[in-house]
Formats: sequence, C-alpha cells, structure tokens
Amino acid sequence: MSSFRGGGMSVDSRALALAVAAVQIAAFALAGALGRPTWYLVFAVGSAGVLGALADRGSFGVASALLGGTLLVALVYPLVALVTFTTPTAVLDALARPDVRRTLYVSVYAPLLATGFATVLGVPLALLLRRGFRGQEIVEACVDLPLVVPHSVAGLAVLLAFGEGHALPWLPVLGAVPGLVLALAFVSAPYVVNGAREAFETVDPSIERAARSLGAGRFEVLRRVTVPLAARGVFSGAVLSWARAVSEYGAVAVVAYNVSVFYPPADERVQAMFGSVFVVRELDVDFRSAVAVAVCLLAVCVVVFLGVRALTRETGRWS
Amino acid sequence: MLRFDVRAAFRDEATTFDVAADLAVETGETLCLLGPSGSGKTLLLELLAGFHGYDGTIALDGRSLEGRPPEERGFGFVFQDHALFPHRSVRENVAFGLRYHDDTRDPDALLARFGVADLAARSPDTLSGGEAQRVALARALAVRPDAFLLDEPLAALDVPTRERLRDDLVDALADETAVYVTHDRTTARAVADRVAVLRDGRVAQVGPVDAVFERPTDRFVAEFTGATVVRGTDLPAALDAPAERLAVRPEHVDVGLDTPAAAPARVTRVVREDAAYRVTLAVGDATLVAYSSEEPDTETTVRVPPDRWHVLADADGSSGDDGE
Repeated sequence: MSSFRGGGMSVDSRALALAVAAVQIAAFALAGALGRPTWYLVFAVGSAGVLGALADRGSFGVASALLGGTLLVALVYPLVALVTFTTPTAVLDALARPDVRRTLYVSVYAPLLATGFATVLGVPLALLLRRGFRGQEIVEACVDLPLVVPHSVAGLAVLLAFGEGHALPWLPVLGAVPGLVLALAFVSAPYVVNGAREAFETVDPSIERAARSLGAGRFEVLRRVTVPLAARGVFSGAVLSWARAVSEYGAVAVVAYNVSVFYPPADERVQAMFGSVFVVRELDVDFRSAVAVAVCLLAVCVVVFLGVRALTRETGRWS
Repeated sequence: MLRFDVRAAFRDEATTFDVAADLAVETGETLCLLGPSGSGKTLLLELLAGFHGYDGTIALDGRSLEGRPPEERGFGFVFQDHALFPHRSVRENVAFGLRYHDDTRDPDALLARFGVADLAARSPDTLSGGEAQRVALARALAVRPDAFLLDEPLAALDVPTRERLRDDLVDALADETAVYVTHDRTTARAVADRVAVLRDGRVAQVGPVDAVFERPTDRFVAEFTGATVVRGTDLPAALDAPAERLAVRPEHVDVGLDTPAAAPARVTRVVREDAAYRVTLAVGDATLVAYSSEEPDTETTVRVPPDRWHVLADADGSSGDDGE
C-alpha cells in the first residue's frame, strides 16, 4: 500500500494499485469471516513489506515500508472498522431522522462560517507575518496558542470572553450560532493563518517587485499577482481549517451543546447539535445508532474534503 | 538625467552592511555598476527602485523621488531571474503594466522586435532562459519607463545566449537612461557608456569605460577590470617601467618582438580563451599577462609601450598583498 509514488500513475501502476486494493479487501473480508481481525492487521503490514521488497530499494526500503505501513494501518483501519461495523440500512435509517439531518447541516454550515471568518481576518495577518515586523515572534506565538490550549478550556475561555455579560454583550454565544462559530474559529484559525503564510512565502518577492515597477500599487499587486499565485495554498489552509473545525468537540460541548439555528429545509429556527457532540450523546442512547450517525458524518466530511482537493488540484497551474 | 546620493544600512542577525553612493547618469546613457559579489551593487539598484528605505536624495529628470513608492518612480526594472508572472501568458506579462500608464508600447510589436512573437500564448515556465529574459525586457519597455534598472540580466544565461541577448540589450538601451549592475567586466565594457566600480558598498572609481579600464585609480579597480598589477622595481630595466606600483592591461603587453626595448620572459602558463590564448609570463621578479600564442615553458620576450604603464596610487587602502 505504501510503496506507490503519487502523481502520474502509469496504467501499470494503476492496475497494480487496483490489484493491491482487491487483495486487501479480500483479506479483510476473510479475516472478518473467520473472526480474526488481528490476522488482517498482520497481513496488511506484511504486504506493505512485500511491496517494499518488490520495489527493489533494498533493506532500507523494506524497513521503511514496514514502518510506514504500520502507521497507515493505524490511520486507516479504525475508519474501516467503523464503516464496516454499521450496515447500509442503519445508515439510511439514521439519515431519515430529522435530528440527524439537522446535525449534519450544522456540522457543515458552522465550520464553513468559522473558516470564512478566520480566512477573512487571517489572510491579512498572514501577509503581515510574511513581510516580517518587530515583535513578530509574539504574534506568531499568539496565532499558535489555540493549538496547545485544551479544547474544553478553549470553550470556557470563549464563553468567558464573549459570553453573556462580557466583552460583546449584544452577541448571543451560549447555545447560539455566533458562539459556536467563535469557538470553532478559535481552534481552527491557526491552520488558515499558517497555511496562508506558507502559501505567500512561496511567492517570489522579485515577481511582486516586478509588478510594482510596472506601475501596480500594493493592492493591485495583491490582487493581480500575490493572491492568484498563493490562492491554492490559502485555499488548502482554509480547507484544513474547515476540517479541523468539523472535528471539534471540547469547545463546542462547552459553548454550544445545543445550538439554536435557522434550518432552511424546515424554514424555521430549530434546536440542533453539532456532529461530534451528537455522536457522543447518541452513544449513551444507542451504540449502533451512534455508529451509523458517525459514518454519515464521516461520509460528509470525506466527500467535502476530497471534492475540495480535486478542485484545487485542477487549478494546479498556480502551484 | 538620473542623479542620486543615497545611503542605507542593511542589518541581519550578524552583520551590518552600509551602502552609499553619489552618482549621476546622463539622459540616454548607460551606467554600469561593476563590482564583485557582496559589493552592494544590487542593493544600490533596489534602493533606487524604492524597494528599501534609505537616506539621501534621488532625482530623475529633475523630479525628486523622495517618498515615492516603486510604482511611481518611473523605473523599468529587469531582474536576473526575469521574474515573469508564472500565472500569466507571455503576452499578458508584457501587457501587465499597460493599464497604469498612458504612454505605452504595443506588446505584440515588442515581442516581434525581440523575436519571441511566436511565444505570445505560452506560459513563462515553458520558456528558455534567453526567451524569458527577452520577454522580461519587452515587459519593462512596454510601459516606456523614464529609466531602466537592470540587475545582471545576463548572468543566468549560457554564453551563446548571453552574447546574443547582450547585443539586443545594447540596441534596446541605446537611447535609454539605464543603470546596469554586473560583476562581469566583459559585459560592462560591452554595454556601458560609463562605469562605476563598487567595493564594500562604496564607489571606488567612476568614469567613462575606457578611462576606468585604462586608468584605474587603485589596485582593486585595476585587478577587477582585468589589469595586471606589478611593481616597476621588479621588472627588468629594459622595459623602462616607472619604479612604482603599475597596472598594465594584457592587451598592451607585446610578446615575442625582437627589439632592444624588449625584455626576456618565460611562459609559465597558457590558457585558451575562445579565439585568444591568455599567457602568463615570468618577467624579472614580476608576473605579466598577455594575449599571445606562445607554448608553455618557452623563453620569449615582452615589451610594453611606455605610455601603457599606468601608475597606481600607492596608498589605495587595498587589502591585497604586493608579494614583496
């Protein structure tokens, strides 16, 4: 699994990839039928080693394939286990529930708002950080701070800063969409700031200088040169930030366990729960149903993530 | 006319680098800033373009540039790495600045003039180095800048491409006011009307090209412009050289002439340079360089016309060793 190089796969390597996938699925199904999932784990890691040996990169290649294969198995197997635990019927049943639909809606919508918020404010900050300024280290530390704050602590902090009777008295925070968005932005903004900054740093300063010497002012250079050249990287940062927001649990559980949200399909304001919170609560009610909901959530995230990746890959001219 | 008198200090963690220059470029003239790596010539060019802060004054055609951002200075900048916009076609690159200027040149005519009209629809990353630099030159010319700033535009090119593009550059800059940065004395001699030799952020010598190359003021300028520096006292009396520190250019050293004014010499090294042989000669206690066709390790004679010895100022602050 681990021995393929990405990019322009030839027909041969595509056929090989399909063959490997088929063998893995068959082995997984067999191990499941025999009630021996451990055998499959051993087989998966072992097959990575075999592919490493076939790639003919020597003992170092085999060792790398074995270690990398172990990590891949640790990353992918739990998701496979999750998906295969449930049944299509259970997933469809879950999707038929209004509360699940509301959860999926708010789980996509609120992170989208949070990412938009973080992107609009974070991209200018990323531009400043690329240019460099006095005290930059302090600002960088502030940007990265949310990464080390435990998420329930982050939720409490957001509540105390912007909640009822605090800095923004007119802003509904507890159990409200603005609070949910603030909490999500708090934990996900570092990804868009850092992603945008890295993207801007790949733009050659002499290209921007050339634009200025041709008569373009700062904003024109930004609009016509810097942003188009960095757009893909900024977008990737935003997607990462969105994905991080979708997965948030701790801060949301504190700030917006139940959130009051306008739900367009019902054309009214409803009470909804954020995805991760909903799944944890559902575990107390019905384990199988919780798994089905989790799979729905996973599917939505994976579809959005892969869709966006495909989209940015097509604009690869700006890489 | 471009006049500038600028000073700036650049700092990184470890060092401070000061640049200061007071120079003038006549309208239609090309001034070469010639100097080794780290002499501050590119920084000086970037100061003029307004890419860094500085103290002092810059005036272009009587117009003070103080406080003006790069886009309002009227300079066309040509970069060593061409700096084309990778997300725009060749034609879009050349047309990029048109919207900011009233008096412009036709991009297609410029592309045709530089022989790259057929590349108009191409993406810059599909161009060769020489093609890209032609496009960059066309792009700078398109907005009719008041003066050009060129930062080693030929340095990254292979030799045949460089020579062809150099000819085009000379034509393009013929009636333009330009400051041209280079570390290559051959390029400087080919493109410059006047040359300013830079050393450690300061102007070591400025003047018409021939004046600087034939009459360097100190050892650093002499060696950097390709002259050989010797002590007159180390040379045989037959050469009738002044008893001082001297610079002599290789092209003025005659080899193998049978005259009483010639001194015996031994060929210690021969290096082929294109059509010519660069010959290193041991003459008395000194070493001279000439262009000739001698064989290595042979005895011959050298002669230098008396007016070709150029006396250097002794106290030139040069860090070089006389070998005495």
